[in-house]
Amino acid sequence: MAEVISVSALNRYVKTLLDANDLLFDLALRGEIANFVQNARSGHCYFSLRDETASVKAVMFRSDARRLGFRPEEGMKVVVRCRVTLYERDGAFQVYVNDMFPDGIGSAQLAFEQLKAKLDQEGLFAPEHKKPLPQFPRCIGLVTSKTGAALQDIRNVIGRRWPAVKLLLCPVNVQGFEAADEIAAAIDRLDKSGRVDEIIVARGGGSREDLWVFNAERIARAAYRCKTPLISAIGHEIDFTILDFVADQRAPTPSAAAELAVPDRAEYARKLFILEENIHNSIQNKLELCYNRLDETAQAFSRPQMQGQLAQRQQQLQMLTGQLSAAARAKQQSCALQMNHAASLAASLNPYGVLARGYALVQDEKGRICAPDALRAGQSITLCGAKNRIRCTVDAVEEPNESTQKL
Amino acid sequence: MRAPKSFEEGMNRLEAILDQMQQPETTLAESVKLYAEAASLTEYCRNTLEKASLQLDEIDAKCAEAQTPEADH
Repeated sequence: MAEVISVSALNRYVKTLLDANDLLFDLALRGEIANFVQNARSGHCYFSLRDETASVKAVMFRSDARRLGFRPEEGMKVVVRCRVTLYERDGAFQVYVNDMFPDGIGSAQLAFEQLKAKLDQEGLFAPEHKKPLPQFPRCIGLVTSKTGAALQDIRNVIGRRWPAVKLLLCPVNVQGFEAADEIAAAIDRLDKSGRVDEIIVARGGGSREDLWVFNAERIARAAYRCKTPLISAIGHEIDFTILDFVADQRAPTPSAAAELAVPDRAEYARKLFILEENIHNSIQNKLELCYNRLDETAQAFSRPQMQGQLAQRQQQLQMLTGQLSAAARAKQQSCALQMNHAASLAASLNPYGVLARGYALVQDEKGRICAPDALRAGQSITLCGAKNRIRCTVDAVEEPNESTQKL
Repeated sequence: MRAPKSFEEGMNRLEAILDQMQQPETTLAESVKLYAEAASLTEYCRNTLEKASLQLDEIDAKCAEAQTPEADH
């Protein structure tokens, strides 16, 4: 008969057998998660892996579980790397999981699509809910790892573009499924602090699994709740996470997020310069316009222009003078004509003209012209002809008779 | 004849004077008086522009002065 041993000895013995097996030491195992429990205090995860016909107990310690990019869910198909050994106390063998991957990404992708569809229907991605980013933020809240490259990238870009802005870091784990709670809480905290006017949730590059945590529903809800404009910058990939859809702006990288978050001071310096130049030009133009207007008007008052005005008046004066002298000349001519008429009329009445035709004037002794009926016999008279004077004495005065009268 | 309050007022008055001088019923004596007023208005306007130009130069110089130390950084 064989040796009698204790239960403890048996379990210890079987454990050594299992531990000695190289195959069981590092095993890849496919199965579906069932009865998943995480111990709230220790953080260790307990669950079963099963297929259609069998199941095995599994443990994943906190130190391993925290590196997981996704939250293991009931019924999720996974592949785990594990070591198989015996739990001595219960005499049950179980698998100790080091790492876990969604099986063929299929189920995880399915979960992703389902969650995305659900949140989309709820309106979490609605464009009208997206808030515009502030043009000139004063303080930006960062939700990222304290030690990650993302933080450094963001600091570099912001330091170069807009150093005036303050950064308020809310350090979080960006890996492992526990990170989801931390990230969601950090978004809430920064939003409620009232100290930031923009939030960047960032994580540097990593595998699809590494970034998986940003598909967590609680992060999506925290981002949706957030009243502060939020930029997501997850990884360096073209793949979108759920957070990218909820965020007000999505940046492909942390550096790109920083560029979105702040204006570029070089660009603003350029704009300012152009503005300054335009203002300068416009005031110069204004001045020039005023000068031109004044010059034009002053031109009208220049000496030549005034001389012209004077010349015009001079011409008027000259014309008037000319008209005056012409009028005077005409007047004088008409007077002369009148006088000639009078003169010729006078000449026709000249008594000497009669004498020239052979008549004579009778003058008495005293030279007075006397009519023939005033003459008396014996009177001395003078007959004045045109060419000479004849002294005569009146012989007789006879009354005219019939015969002479008929003559 | 009072001094204008601004360049624009001066210019407006100048243009009004020009118009008046071109009216045929304006007498020579009036024209000469207007010409005298125009001369002093022109001087005022020119001085105002010179002053404005000088002020711009001063502001530019001050700006250039303020910007130079920053360029040393």
